[in-house]
Amino acid sequence: MTRRMWIAVISLAGLFIGIYLTLYHYGMIGTLACGVSSCEKVQTSRWAMFLGVPIATWGAAYYALMLALSMARIQPRLEESAGLTLATFVLASWGMIFSAWLNYLEGFVLHAWCEWCLGSTALVLVLFTLAFLEWRDYRRAGEVELEGADNIAD
Amino acid sequence: MAKKRVDAGRGRKPGVVKATKKSSASNNAFYLIIAVIAVAGVAALTYVSTRKTNVATASPIDTTLPKVESNGYVMGSPTALVEVTEFGDFECPACGTFSLLTEPELRKRFVDAGQVRWRFVDFPLSMHKNTWNASRAAACADEQGKFWAYHDVLYSRQDQWNGEATNDPDKFMKQYAQQIGLNTSQFDQCVDTKKYQAKIQAHELLGEKRKIGQTPTFLVGTQQIAGAVPYDGFAKTITEELAKAGAKPGVGGDTAKGVPVKPGS
Repeated sequence: MTRRMWIAVISLAGLFIGIYLTLYHYGMIGTLACGVSSCEKVQTSRWAMFLGVPIATWGAAYYALMLALSMARIQPRLEESAGLTLATFVLASWGMIFSAWLNYLEGFVLHAWCEWCLGSTALVLVLFTLAFLEWRDYRRAGEVELEGADNIAD
Repeated sequence: MAKKRVDAGRGRKPGVVKATKKSSASNNAFYLIIAVIAVAGVAALTYVSTRKTNVATASPIDTTLPKVESNGYVMGSPTALVEVTEFGDFECPACGTFSLLTEPELRKRFVDAGQVRWRFVDFPLSMHKNTWNASRAAACADEQGKFWAYHDVLYSRQDQWNGEATNDPDKFMKQYAQQIGLNTSQFDQCVDTKKYQAKIQAHELLGEKRKIGQTPTFLVGTQQIAGAVPYDGFAKTITEELAKAGAKPGVGGDTAKGVPVKPGS
């Protein structure tokens, strides 16, 4: 399996976490409550919403977009698309920054760690690493191909 | 330079074709994994979202925990067969949802019918900045016999006075007191002096002793319900407890018998 396939697999897993937490946020899964447990504290805090949309839904959207991008890049026609490779890397970087901010809030503002959010952070970290490697390799391959083409031409 | 670019394009093509051939087995593995995750994910979400209707929403009460006795605010008949004790936080959105969506129907069907006596005990959670102001204000409203009217206003206006919306919740507390026709000078003084701080602390302590882990939590006769469960599950638990109490009249599990109901509260 290629890196972008792993990106797709991890994104799909993350998408389900995002959907699960969104349904939880709206009380469609489990029972709506304010709790002293860490995850409930995080989920019901003022930081659980961003621009009027639950953080979990932003997460689901991020994973969905990541999944769509990687699925597109698996198609032979778009396999070498520089734009999509760059978009994946930019999106993965944004996911990392956003996750870091949320983890900062959990640790230093709310003093509560939600295991689902930490799980999501781990996925985001892996996605970022894969996207970075892909982007780096794409750039390197470009250079190598140019050199290789030079040799063929000779 | 221009030649180099053209050749680079030509040189790249065979590589792509080669990679596609080589990866056909890995493609199959990939699509298999994607399909497995998709099916497992959808199955898991379906399971957890439908599970709550299949399992009991209530669990038996630990009888070794301290009794609620005469704490809190009571609504309903002193001779009701079953007592429901709610541990609630005025700033908790789940409590607000329960109060607006589920409680009115429960009051109408069980409390007004004289079958259930409803008791509210404050359980202010530390994450809610303004909840203590609300609990103290509700105690001040109780002083004038209007706890329940004030309780309902607090839950319906959570969006105005919660910790994210304002740093001056007492301003809203006083407005609501005026709106429901309380003696405002008495109420304002009560709020300003934090007259019932100790009472709320006692309620909080009781919840801690009873190991309340979330709000709202309900003690319904011999059972405990955690969270804002929908009407059907709640009514079912009450009905079960009524049946139990009906067999042995006067026994309502963890209830305080004969506690006088405050007038108007």
